[in-house]
Amino acid sequence: MAPKISSSPSPTCRSLEQAVTYHLQVTLGKSPDAADLEDLQLALAMAIRQPIIHAMNATEARVRAADAKQIHYLSMEFLIGRLLANNLRNLKLYDVCAEAATNLGFHLGNILETEVDPALGNGGLGRLAACFLDSLASLSYPGYGYGINYQYGLFRQSFANGFQHEQPDNWAQHGTPWQIERREHSSMIPIYGRVEASADAGGGFNPHWLEWKSLIGVPSDVPVVGYRGRCVNFLRLYSARAPAEFDMAIFNSGDYLRAMEHQVAVETVSKVLYPSDAAATGRELRFIQEYFFVACAMRDIFRRHFAAGHVVEDFGRYNALQLNDTHPALAVAELMRTLVDEHDLGWERAWQITQDSTAYTNHTLLPEALERWPVELFGRVLPRHLEIVYEVNRRFLEEVALRYPGDEGRLGRMSIVQEHPSKEIRMAHLAIVGSHSVNGVAEMHSELVKHQLVPDFYELWPERFNNKTNGVTPRRWLLSCNPRLATLISEAIGPEWVADLEQLVGLEPLAGDAGFLDRFRQIKLANKSDLARRVHEVTGLKIDPASMFDVQIKRVHEYKRQLLNALHIMHLYLRIKEDKVALPVPKTFIFSGKAAPGYQLAKLIIKLINNIARIVNADRQVSQSLRVVFYPDYKVSVAEIIVPAADLSEQISTAGYEASGTGNMKLAMNGALTIGTLDGANVEIAREVGEENIYIFGLTADEVILARQAGDIAQLAHSANADIRRVIRELAAGRFSPEEPGLFAPIVAALTGACDPYMHLADFADYAAKQEQAAADFCNTSAWSARALINVARSARFSSDRTIREYASEIWGLKQVV
Amino acid sequence: MVLEDQVEGEYLVVCLRERRLDAVIAAGFREAMLERIELGQHKIVLDLSSVGFLDSSGLGAVVAVLKHLGQRGCLYLCGVTPAVMAVLRLTRMDRVFRTFPTRAAALAA
Repeated sequence: MAPKISSSPSPTCRSLEQAVTYHLQVTLGKSPDAADLEDLQLALAMAIRQPIIHAMNATEARVRAADAKQIHYLSMEFLIGRLLANNLRNLKLYDVCAEAATNLGFHLGNILETEVDPALGNGGLGRLAACFLDSLASLSYPGYGYGINYQYGLFRQSFANGFQHEQPDNWAQHGTPWQIERREHSSMIPIYGRVEASADAGGGFNPHWLEWKSLIGVPSDVPVVGYRGRCVNFLRLYSARAPAEFDMAIFNSGDYLRAMEHQVAVETVSKVLYPSDAAATGRELRFIQEYFFVACAMRDIFRRHFAAGHVVEDFGRYNALQLNDTHPALAVAELMRTLVDEHDLGWERAWQITQDSTAYTNHTLLPEALERWPVELFGRVLPRHLEIVYEVNRRFLEEVALRYPGDEGRLGRMSIVQEHPSKEIRMAHLAIVGSHSVNGVAEMHSELVKHQLVPDFYELWPERFNNKTNGVTPRRWLLSCNPRLATLISEAIGPEWVADLEQLVGLEPLAGDAGFLDRFRQIKLANKSDLARRVHEVTGLKIDPASMFDVQIKRVHEYKRQLLNALHIMHLYLRIKEDKVALPVPKTFIFSGKAAPGYQLAKLIIKLINNIARIVNADRQVSQSLRVVFYPDYKVSVAEIIVPAADLSEQISTAGYEASGTGNMKLAMNGALTIGTLDGANVEIAREVGEENIYIFGLTADEVILARQAGDIAQLAHSANADIRRVIRELAAGRFSPEEPGLFAPIVAALTGACDPYMHLADFADYAAKQEQAAADFCNTSAWSARALINVARSARFSSDRTIREYASEIWGLKQVV
Repeated sequence: MVLEDQVEGEYLVVCLRERRLDAVIAAGFREAMLERIELGQHKIVLDLSSVGFLDSSGLGAVVAVLKHLGQRGCLYLCGVTPAVMAVLRLTRMDRVFRTFPTRAAALAA
């Protein structure tokens, strides 16, 4: 029998050692003498699973006893990151575990580094979902995640001659200690087939769904450990399996390979995460993925609802569904189908329950990024759901027509079914119509949703629209990733800030305390030294921790403008080389991020940055004061080492494009100053930290619209600014691609063409000026540190605890269960 | 495929002794049931208490039996397991078939 450990009262070092040794020997079959770091990591995870699962069961019992309403967060992505360190800190077992590891002859930090970082998301949207789960559990809300258990996460990125190469990320090939398969809660999910209109036993109209194919959704639970370990919720991820191991009829006929084909085809559904920016529209597999996880989630939610002794009529009273973007919007149709077809509710009552239960978060302002599915595909895969969507739309358009008689144009704009140029289902419209709440993710974004993206809907239902500014969990993004700073903060203001970030304001008076600022600065320097060591290990490049670390870490996309950053670095290079100008402070530019495999221009931007890095870093004259790093394979664990080491945070998206951003929040929370546009949550960061503690530049969202209408702004900027002309000239002439001079011609064309929608050149001069100012300011180390500390002290608004409290009280009607 | 017949008054009770009614046995099941109807058995109780999985082929076969009977008689389902009932509900077939928890309840209908 496994040795017992519990989190309360705290386990002793000895009991942990015994549990780890037990799992090494019995579970993993390893002799402690032969165990390596990875074995230790697995054994340690297994050892702490025991108190986690006890707490999870106790949490479930409390929720049931409280008869509490629950939130079900539906998301295609949960970018959860490594779990062992985070769980140890949330359980308050980190220190005792470090001691146990030492006694066993290992260093805990080295053990933690061996954990696989599951890449079950593309970026912000998936990481937001993970932060929300942490806050739900830490605040003792009954909240659960539902998603897909992708076999392959987002691709692993490496560079070959500076070009991005993608390799499959079979993240769980050796298993994971953090998933508990719940085979007993598997669900059968039908797809395809046809609907036949016929009569029921009493002669009433009764459409049947016939000739469907079956998928089986098998859930695995990832425990979500709240801070202090009392509340442990779960993230339920579904794998697709064939109904039987393989088709026995075909197998019996002797065709083994064809029998396996069916199984392989079914399991493809949960095989791979689609990268963002991939042209997913029209891809049947993506559509099936979206339905698969929504249908599995709905089955499970109903099962739990009935198991708690509730009746179908009370579904909305006990359950809230949050749609993370439109990917789970099929939940509206699936919930209606379940209520009407399976539970015999009348349409009006079912619709009321659906709207009362469902809420939708919008994440994009780009009309072209709003999901639409061809009617033909929709009807072929989900024939019954298409009927339901049509009926929802018919009733909705009746309401619109009553409110705006004779306004045919409005009906066409608002319809869930787009008629021209091709017939498609507009998933955002389905989500808006089927929800009682529609929220954006930053104040500015929410206003743009109302007034630019879907103004007709806002005019019809203004009360439905609201803002919930994103946040990040301070447990992972400060306590766990920056333990030195966390310790200093706790020494200064006590440890309660971890659960109540508002207390960070207590740091503000210390911005005038030279001794405290010196310690604060030494911590930043130590974090930068850690990153410098890691950069050397991974890339072979040496960087100076005393230089200014200028960081841009995020998905690579034209609107996020890594290219603007690159243009500025080329400008600095040319200033040093051609103008013989010395920089006021040595600078290290650090990039990390992936480009979607099919997004050629973004991949070329990566190549450009790598080429700039190669040229700059090899130039003895320049590299004394300028270094460029592209850290490969960006993921949560990479962010966790870069974020604490940043001096300057690049949040330079074209205004009006970034919904919120959350990297901006993590970096500010860790004492980086932001250089950014008035876009997304940057606006709120600027308001919180004060304009003297942030570098804001560039066109506003309104000005971007005007500039786009003017059309020739890139040429104006080009002709007016000699620095821009020189950079573009040298780039076009092949200075940064001497072995292939025309390589970056597509970038030059995008920058100087008739209308660069991303306004790179229009914003360049202001950006360069603010960069120059930041570099000069960095030389005044104590003033810089004071401003960095104020960024930390005023970051409370950007805790996901605050966001979740707002969702809970204003959208979900949720109460804590303590 | 194992089908066990038992005559109870005017009813023929057919018990399908299989865990799965799916594409593997659907065609054979349908033919065996139609054969019974052609032999004059028009009041049938189908006992599905052993069946834990029903796919669309299996459901199609049961529907075919019902259609073949038409107005001539009746087809009742009994012992329907939760997993099979979920499929019937999902496809709205629970409104087409009369289902009973037990064989006795079906015979008493």
